[in-house]
Amino acid sequence: MKRFFPFFAFLCISILFGSTAPQYSVINVPAPPTKFKNYQVDGLTFLPNGKLVVCLPSGEIFFRDLKTKKWELFAEGLHNPLGVLALSNSELIVTQRPELTRVRDLDGDGKADDFEVITDDFGMSGNYHEFNFTPVRDKQGNYFFALGTGSKGDGVRTITRGTFNERGRPGRMHSSAPYRGCIMKLTHDGQTIPWSYGHRTPNGLGFDLEGNLFVTDNQGDWVGSSKLFHVQKDHFYGHAASLAWKPDFNEVPLKAPVEKLAKMRSRACVVFPHGTMANSPTKVLAITPDAKFGPFSGQLLVGEMNRGRIIRIMLEKVGGELQGACVPFIDGPPLGRGCNRMDWAPDGSLFVGQTKHTWAGGEGIQQISWNGETPFEIQKMELQDKGFKFTFTKPVNRQIAAKKETWPFSRYFYEYREAYGSPRSDETKVGISAIHISKNAKIVEIELEELEAWHIHEVTVQKLFSADGEELNNNYIVYTLNRLLKNTPTEPLQIKTVSKKT
Amino acid sequence: MTELKNLFYIATLLCSFTNLFSESREEIIQKGKELYNGAGSCVACHMADGNGQKGNIPPLAGSEWLKGGSARSIAISLRGLAGPIKVNGKKYYAAMPPQLLFDDEKLAYILSYVNNAWGNKEDLITKEEVVKARKELPLDVYTPQTLLKKFPFDKKYSKKNGTYTPTFDDTLSNITSPVVYRTFMPGASPASFAVALPGNHYYCWDAGESRLRYVWTKGGFIKSNQAHWSSNGKPVAEFNGTPYYRAKTSLLREETFEALSKTNMQKPIYDTPEADDFPLKIEGAKGTPRFLGYRLVGGYPKFRYSQGKHMITELIQMNDEKVGIRRTFTISPPSKTVLKLSPTTLASTSSDRGIMKKDGTLNLSSSESAEFSVFIIPNEETN
Repeated sequence: MKRFFPFFAFLCISILFGSTAPQYSVINVPAPPTKFKNYQVDGLTFLPNGKLVVCLPSGEIFFRDLKTKKWELFAEGLHNPLGVLALSNSELIVTQRPELTRVRDLDGDGKADDFEVITDDFGMSGNYHEFNFTPVRDKQGNYFFALGTGSKGDGVRTITRGTFNERGRPGRMHSSAPYRGCIMKLTHDGQTIPWSYGHRTPNGLGFDLEGNLFVTDNQGDWVGSSKLFHVQKDHFYGHAASLAWKPDFNEVPLKAPVEKLAKMRSRACVVFPHGTMANSPTKVLAITPDAKFGPFSGQLLVGEMNRGRIIRIMLEKVGGELQGACVPFIDGPPLGRGCNRMDWAPDGSLFVGQTKHTWAGGEGIQQISWNGETPFEIQKMELQDKGFKFTFTKPVNRQIAAKKETWPFSRYFYEYREAYGSPRSDETKVGISAIHISKNAKIVEIELEELEAWHIHEVTVQKLFSADGEELNNNYIVYTLNRLLKNTPTEPLQIKTVSKKT
Repeated sequence: MTELKNLFYIATLLCSFTNLFSESREEIIQKGKELYNGAGSCVACHMADGNGQKGNIPPLAGSEWLKGGSARSIAISLRGLAGPIKVNGKKYYAAMPPQLLFDDEKLAYILSYVNNAWGNKEDLITKEEVVKARKELPLDVYTPQTLLKKFPFDKKYSKKNGTYTPTFDDTLSNITSPVVYRTFMPGASPASFAVALPGNHYYCWDAGESRLRYVWTKGGFIKSNQAHWSSNGKPVAEFNGTPYYRAKTSLLREETFEALSKTNMQKPIYDTPEADDFPLKIEGAKGTPRFLGYRLVGGYPKFRYSQGKHMITELIQMNDEKVGIRRTFTISPPSKTVLKLSPTTLASTSSDRGIMKKDGTLNLSSSESAEFSVFIIPNEETN
């Protein structure tokens, strides 16, 4: 019996948190022929000619011709490249530890021969956790990249790059070298400036189709649970250390009163509940109109390291700011763990590169394809005056959807504090006051007994089937309710735990 | 008839013994010692103390490979041994070439010395044993497998001696084309290069300060770099040798190499904006140098950086004699330039333009600065 327990546990988790819809298939892509035998993938994109590009921890960059199924070694010797953009078939932009680098093949022999610094105007203390994540480029030609903070798992090196700043040195995650914990902008005229502050491990930038910039962050000190932020100029997103570099902030960040920091911070547009949604979110990728990935164009995908999961994000503007919901989408085996980088292949399928670097994760490359048939999923979740409106991809079974027991809502918040992570605070079940189902049975409006601003609202929809008998594939959905449609109360600091209501 | 034949053999054997024993044991060992320590001889790799070089050249002092008769040592000396081996539980990667310089007698002296030096207590080896082996052994270079099949270890030695499967680090012991890695190097800023040159000279170039930090040759290229990549990125590269050249900076003068590998500092010894003693002084150029990137030229990185309006390139290759390095600089536009190297007893410096002073200072006219080379050559006695 004992032997079966893990299987049962797995089954229960699958039921609880959904699974990949059968309309999507996941296949493994053969690993590149690296002589270092390390198959983690830290950067992934496509060339204009359709070849797959991957960066490996060894500093190698490989191309794969998807037609001939042959790998080519393009470049070697880079320092932990954690993201790549292709400007042409022979020109890449790579974030590696020390710089943003233009990697080019100038003599046309298929191998990179020129490595040009586009910017290294940021510091390195030599702490291992000071990663340089994902370059992205906007339509004006500006680049953005994300600088990780240093970890207390190590100190700083004997020689550091950039002016050492003792004010940023204290703390579990520190920022003693310039701009660690900032999103950086390299303007098209060559200026490198800190664009936003307060990031901890911002492993993954991405734009939505309107050109809004987003970044994820990992749970830890000052980050109660992992998050997705809408990145805006000069905003502070909560992790204190990088305030050492904010021009108008002259204190030691860790000595500043938490009330002051709480008032300065900008909220996440999506919080990923720790343990149930994501523990270590990664790259943000918009579902483009060219992507063949189901009826979700314009929404965002976010990878998750700790389990085989890719999350779907749906955002809306409420009270002038973006907020919204997240739901597991491609979830569980055969999708591997460590989904770190992803991009759209020329055929509209999704390629995912997996990594771990001693943390939970995996290694390898997978391709996810949609068969063109509509999966039964929550297409979107939107805020209403008294509750939420769910739009489904297919008509729902009216009888099940009309039952209150189908919609066990709860709400809570995560504390803003220096300590690592946060318990769920003020966790409360929320009753249903009314359910309206549209004529075509694709829209279900749920009126809640209470709708509490600045709280995360989540529901695990119970045994909901479509009218044609398909079970809802992913039924755990979480809406980060910051602002209400009207009469939003003043933003609370949420720096103290509120015990559970019974 | 048989008896007569036996008698003949015994006579020949006696003759050869007499031949060798006409010299005393001490004389034999002394002759072997001189040959062993001759220029370019065994000592170049196995070292005077017989301890070899960590990870690369196996030791002879205390080596259990000498146990169980002399046939194995003679075979390795005559035919060579290619492939990684374990000696007394430790791993060594470098290959042993066949020793073609020594005739049978000299090889017998050398092996007799090796068998009895540094506390070793094995047999003396006769010229006849070498003659016989040279005639009878197959001509191929031995692999550890073919060698140990013919000359197996006694059980008590076979666990700690034999062969092993090499890792990628091990394979870097013999560089045939340039290898360029950006990684964490000791004694340099976190933005550094480790470069291996064909001919097995290695250097660290620091992109944080646009300067060569140090050069080494003994002990092989960096180790553990794979751990740096595949782990969370914490390990700083290690190597077994000592640099024969270290660029002096006023900020690091007293620091040992181990101290500079530290990662767990509360604050740094210095940060790069404090590094004001840049070795290249170009007249009229202001500000700290800015690293701009590198071009691979035949696989060799040609670094480029700017200082004020001047563009500087540096290309490092082996010198023509393959015993040290040649650093070729270009400065554009050219300007009167002073380059300060730091020669020590370990290495000497010279240049192909201008006159380099004994203290390593090179004064260049504007036209000389357009393209010039400096050479850093390790001194043989100390390396």
